Amino acid sequence: MSLKTIRPATGFKEYLPKEYQDLIDDGPFLRQRKVSELGSFKEAIEEHPMCAGCAMTLFIRLVFVALPSLEHTVICGTAGCGRLAITQGAVPFVYGNYGDTNAVATGLKRGLDIRFKDQPKDVVVMAGDGGLADIGFHAVMHSWFRKEKFTTIMLDNEVYGNTGGQDSGMTQKGMVMKMAPTGKKFEKMDMLGLAKTAGVAYTARISTTNPTRIANTIRKAVLIAREVGPTFIQAYTSCNIEYAIPTPKVIDDARDVEKDRYGFAEYFSDEAQSYWDESEKERKRLRKAAKKIK
Amino acid sequence: MGNKKKTQYRVVTGPEGILPPAATLMGISLPEEGEGLVEGEIVSEAEALEKAAIALLTRKNPTLFPGPLVLWGWNDHTDEKAKYFFDVANELPGIRIIPMPDYRPIYPKIDPEAVINPCHPNLTVLHNKIEACVFIGVHCHYASITLKIIRAGTNCYTIALCAEAGHEDAMASVPNFDIEKLIRFKDTIIKVKKNGIKPLYEGLGIVPTGWSQIASLKGKTPIKPEEELVEAGVSGAFSNELESGLDDNAE
Amino acid sequence: MSQDVKEKMESKAKPEDAKTGAAAQRVVDPDYLILEAPRKKEFITGSEAAKESVRRANVDIAIAYPITPQSETMQQVGYLYAEGYIKDYYRGEEEIGVMSAVAGASRAGVRVLTATAGPGLMRGLEQIVSWPGGRLPSMLLVMCRVVNAPLAIQPDNIEISYLLNSGGIVLHGENQQDFYDYPLIGFMVGEKPEVTLPVAVAVDGFFVTHARGWVSMPAEDIKLPPRDCYHEAVPMMDNENPPIRISRDSPIQKSNFISYQMHAAWQQEIWAAQERAKKWLNRWLGGLIEVVNPGAKTMIVASGAAVSQGREAVRQATEKGLDVGLIKIKSIRPFPTEELTEALEHAEKIVIPEFNYVGWLAKEVKAAIDRTDRIIAGPRVFGGMTMPTELILETISASE
Repeated sequence: MSLKTIRPATGFKEYLPKEYQDLIDDGPFLRQRKVSELGSFKEAIEEHPMCAGCAMTLFIRLVFVALPSLEHTVICGTAGCGRLAITQGAVPFVYGNYGDTNAVATGLKRGLDIRFKDQPKDVVVMAGDGGLADIGFHAVMHSWFRKEKFTTIMLDNEVYGNTGGQDSGMTQKGMVMKMAPTGKKFEKMDMLGLAKTAGVAYTARISTTNPTRIANTIRKAVLIAREVGPTFIQAYTSCNIEYAIPTPKVIDDARDVEKDRYGFAEYFSDEAQSYWDESEKERKRLRKAAKKIK
Repeated sequence: MGNKKKTQYRVVTGPEGILPPAATLMGISLPEEGEGLVEGEIVSEAEALEKAAIALLTRKNPTLFPGPLVLWGWNDHTDEKAKYFFDVANELPGIRIIPMPDYRPIYPKIDPEAVINPCHPNLTVLHNKIEACVFIGVHCHYASITLKIIRAGTNCYTIALCAEAGHEDAMASVPNFDIEKLIRFKDTIIKVKKNGIKPLYEGLGIVPTGWSQIASLKGKTPIKPEEELVEAGVSGAFSNELESGLDDNAE
Repeated sequence: MSQDVKEKMESKAKPEDAKTGAAAQRVVDPDYLILEAPRKKEFITGSEAAKESVRRANVDIAIAYPITPQSETMQQVGYLYAEGYIKDYYRGEEEIGVMSAVAGASRAGVRVLTATAGPGLMRGLEQIVSWPGGRLPSMLLVMCRVVNAPLAIQPDNIEISYLLNSGGIVLHGENQQDFYDYPLIGFMVGEKPEVTLPVAVAVDGFFVTHARGWVSMPAEDIKLPPRDCYHEAVPMMDNENPPIRISRDSPIQKSNFISYQMHAAWQQEIWAAQERAKKWLNRWLGGLIEVVNPGAKTMIVASGAAVSQGREAVRQATEKGLDVGLIKIKSIRPFPTEELTEALEHAEKIVIPEFNYVGWLAKEVKAAIDRTDRIIAGPRVFGGMTMPTELILETISASE
């Protein structure tokens, strides 16, 4: 049914703005788009108010390409830079209170499961390091302990960017920030370790360097969350303003940080691993079958 | 309700001032089924439809603002409703159709010829010099906000054809607006014309607005919105004197 | 035992049409359930009354967190889940989590319930006061118990004062009967498209929750219609209704691109919605106020448990030949300004007994009516004290 929400009622299409006409004719809804197709179709998000060269925006754009079922996805966010871009996407976006994402997502996911028994609805939390590791920490942890079936994506820019450059729990030790005038006193929080301890089914650490890998990781996380349990992606999405990274050097920085301390790493729980192996097999089988038919 | 005192407050065309009150809190009640609301007074449905028809036929640059609930074909009902929506449009010479496809704050800025947005609906109304408009298929919360902002800063006559309980902040409103009522509205427009109300834009059909509509609506002639505003009974920008209480620099 | 004998026995034990829980209930018109259905009296606690209300409320999900004196009610609601009357139920991590999850569930389009008390309400307050702005119909039961510090678990309804400016509907129940009736009414009012607001039903803890009283209720095989979420003031966040681009809770604080007018008009709309609720509250509550002995020169104005004490005070005063009446305020938000003005027009003296230190009801009444010198803003008890009727009577005679 939900695809109908992007189909204009008879006679209205001509009156819609060009942007919507493109979304209807050539949008990302009808089939899973690939990263390699970027630029050849109308994306779920285009215009946004983010700073020039923002790595987070690139990441968010890739999330909108990667989501396996855009027309059945709802995104939850909180205060922070990311939501300024996410609100512009063609996916319902819940903007709650400070750091309430994983609690809101719990109620939302359970509510949707009550109403749509035969149609999986993907709930995706996408918020910053401050929103998830600091103010929203308890809700994040408890959603994991409760094994709530949704994905949490941390846009980790290691700073409160939207409020002007204060340190978060995810800021590296020693960094001088607006609320750490003599340098941050404690280590970057190990959210990936905590996720594993809490029984998260799949975790990944990723930087903004390889678009295809980002897309694949997100797809994996959402599909595993749908079937197995909570998933968590921690993505390095630098703040070029607060960390004074020259705009043309943003991706270089992402590469350096990746090499230094943010290398791609993923973890599967046993259940998630066997689910993923099985579904990979099934996809291969289907691909083969499709080739034969051709 | 019985104990409600009769209010003197009237919901008339603006500009009402920076922040007009919510009409409900000024004692305006919603109409029941079979009734309508005109400038805050409960009238018969027929009268409300007639007042709405006259406004759309005689005021400048009349515009229909279809909201998400009618312009997206999300259920079988909408496709059917769309047909009757255009039947109404076709009876209104010189009508413009500007959609409200969503409610998000639009970045980097809106194209006021292409869309209207509840975050700043006044921009579309002012840009196109719209002096009579219809909201239909907009979720009530956003409709109410939109109506208040338009009444605050423009001289537009607002009409809310609401599928639910109706809107106190519109100059004319009819509740439970279903297909039957769309048909009755069309018939009312025809009747009003027959009774001698001469349409301001006699002979014109639906007028495209904005470049995307001009490009996709083949066979329609673009016409710039009329320049002068119809007198709103006021000389300045606001009907209420701003000096009284709003001047921060007053000593 | 042969296979078909076994099957027969099983089918006897469990006939095919044996339905339990919600499946055994039929949906009825709210007018019928609330106003017309024949009722039977039972002598039960307030918590049990709330449970019976929830049983008939067609609730989809209930989210609980233990806090005295509310725990018992949410445990009772848990039993309803186990019996199949509620589709989902869990204990949340604490109130910020619970109240946020309520917001999430309401956005999903389901009927959601939670309950809290004093400190829990304070902890969840940021979330709770954001519900009206999100236009999130939901039910919050509040069993008043005073706000810390010092820590206390005694009946004192000071926490209601923190809800007054939220924009949500706040009903204040007098007794066990109200605690049965008000949630059902609240669900129906809050989900009306022109209202679309959360509803809080508050009662004074212990006096109502733990004590027994007579409650008349219809049979348990009927329930309210389910939430009709596509007929509300905002779209559901289910990606099934347009628009697809929904920033329903739009971040409009960026003055460089969004007019301040949006936020201003938004707030106006919340309070306008509350005003619209009056029509439905009048229909199902039988008026926002109840007047006992109208026309009396001295009028007691009260809400919650203070009403019961007020009733007894009126009885005793009448015995003594005094001319005393009572107004019970059922709905604190929307506040019955016009009703009170009318009902107190003639009154020479207005006494407002309250179970809290700050006297929030007296302030409300003062702001609503004229000739406020008629008001005696008391007596007040707080911190868990009871209110002897003598105290009310003394207040009346002391001002003679």
